[in-house]
Amino acid sequence: MISVKNLSHIYSNNDKLAINDISFEITKGETFGFLGPSGAGKSTTQGILTGLLKLQKGNVHVAGYNMNKVDNKRFNKIGVSFEQSNVYSKLTAKENLEFYRKLFDVPTREPEELIKLVGLEGKENDRAGSFSKGMKHRLTFARSMINNPELWFLDEPTTGLDPTIAATIKEIINGQKAKGVTTFLTTHNMYIADELCDRVAFIIDGQIKLIDTPKNLKLLYGKKLVDIEFIDNNEVKKETLKLIDDNDKKRMYEIINKYKIQTMHSKEATLEEIFIQVTGRGLI
Amino acid sequence: MIKKMFIIFGRDFLSSRRDAMAVYIMVVPLIMAVLVAAFAPGLNDTTVNIAMLESDSAEHIEYIEQYAKVEVFKNIEELERRVNKRDEIAGIIPLGDGHEILLQGNEADIIEMYAVLLNSFYELGLTKEETTATMISFGRTIPPLKAKLTNMLISVTVMLSGMLIAISIVEEKNDDTINAVNVTPISQIGFILGKSLLGSSVAMISIIGAIFITGFYNVNWIMIVIIGFCSMILSLVIGFLQGINSDDFMEAAAGVKMLMLPIAGSIAGYELLSDKWQWTMYWSPFYWAYKANDLILAKIADWPTILLCTGLVIISSTVVFILFIPKIRKGLS
Repeated sequence: MISVKNLSHIYSNNDKLAINDISFEITKGETFGFLGPSGAGKSTTQGILTGLLKLQKGNVHVAGYNMNKVDNKRFNKIGVSFEQSNVYSKLTAKENLEFYRKLFDVPTREPEELIKLVGLEGKENDRAGSFSKGMKHRLTFARSMINNPELWFLDEPTTGLDPTIAATIKEIINGQKAKGVTTFLTTHNMYIADELCDRVAFIIDGQIKLIDTPKNLKLLYGKKLVDIEFIDNNEVKKETLKLIDDNDKKRMYEIINKYKIQTMHSKEATLEEIFIQVTGRGLI
Repeated sequence: MIKKMFIIFGRDFLSSRRDAMAVYIMVVPLIMAVLVAAFAPGLNDTTVNIAMLESDSAEHIEYIEQYAKVEVFKNIEELERRVNKRDEIAGIIPLGDGHEILLQGNEADIIEMYAVLLNSFYELGLTKEETTATMISFGRTIPPLKAKLTNMLISVTVMLSGMLIAISIVEEKNDDTINAVNVTPISQIGFILGKSLLGSSVAMISIIGAIFITGFYNVNWIMIVIIGFCSMILSLVIGFLQGINSDDFMEAAAGVKMLMLPIAGSIAGYELLSDKWQWTMYWSPFYWAYKANDLILAKIADWPTILLCTGLVIISSTVVFILFIPKIRKGLS
């Protein structure tokens, strides 16, 4: 569905490459997470893939279209949800979606259905300008599905949403995945990526450091830790031990046999920890 | 693409209906046209007003009424009060065998002179039939002030229509919706043309409406439509450049107000400069549009002149538009 070969991009006012010779492929139906801190090149890559930024160097094919040739028809197959909500504040939620659906040449979904799907039921006829940030974000998200996209670009889809609504959005993304929709998910939220993505790519300073499934990454980079809290001489102590380290194993047996255990949690490495381990940088 | 352009137009119109400034821009040219239609005949009326007494001879009053607007008063006190009001009126009252001219003191010289001469002609028993001069009329029946005001209204309409486009683009920028439209199948040129429709249709409707309301029914409408089309291009140039260069409504409004300068300059240049200096305004498309409208409204326009004006407006506007197309496209990306 997406093929990127040796993609590079530079902004005219900056000598540094924003994207530096990256390559990856995304197959149909896959949910692909593009992870990295701010300024890593996520948005630039998504901009090129969606056609909002001009392709400068490399070969990029998206939804069967060569991105060297401008053809707006490709957007009939593509849905884009932006990180910053962008809806017409003077139009109602329904009018916003009605306007966008008319710009497509393919069968579209009913605005009311999408409004209900993202939990904005009853707000159809309210102007978007009166919406909270989260509500605008949900309307932007709903809009990205109006043309039944085969390829879906999601930029920070749950940012700024309360946990209940975020759970609804995750459910919708999984629902789309079940329908065979290919998703390119850009985020710096590793928990979302872990939950939703089949594969993730770590990007930093315009370069992809690795691409793999979250499970493989955890197996490869995870340390299989155990956090133990115990009482020693009437004092609560805490230790983190590696299950793959023999000394730590012995220490764990010793603690269990010798002290009164307060709490004990096994702990897998998170994607965020793996990211830091691989790139040497945090995600913010 | 045509269908999608009208979808953009429909959205812009819906949004503009909900924006007080946009609604104001859409209706104000027509309101101003009504005002011009209502007040221009009065402004244009150069008849001299004369105050006279009831006690004066009927023959005298009748004679003066042929050449001036006469107001008759019962007594001298009422007449004096009338003469002392703000507008320009001269009083003629009988005094012995002759007459006395009453003036407030601040009237134009022509009023004083007209009252004196008119009364002298009466006293000498002269009528207009006794003149040896031959009357030749060029048949220009349009009141010049009304035509000028209508023409200025057209220039203001062009500027306001451009502002409508600017407001619409600023709204897109504020709501950050341009990117959202850029990921739909409509092409950027389709989007630009669609965005042009509201401003250009308002310009066209307002120009035709203003001409109709001000009573110029018998002008050459084909010429009006052609020069109106040129004015639409001017609106587009103004609107897109201001919209792209402004981040909020106030900035756009201030920018468009700055454009009043070349518009006002062009009008002033056309009206006030002597023929040998008219060339100094040839650079301005507003000058050519104003000139063409002036000739059309005065019903003395001929096709070669109108086509020349039209061509110059189109060329100058299009050159500016083309020069700024990369900037406009970048601004809408």
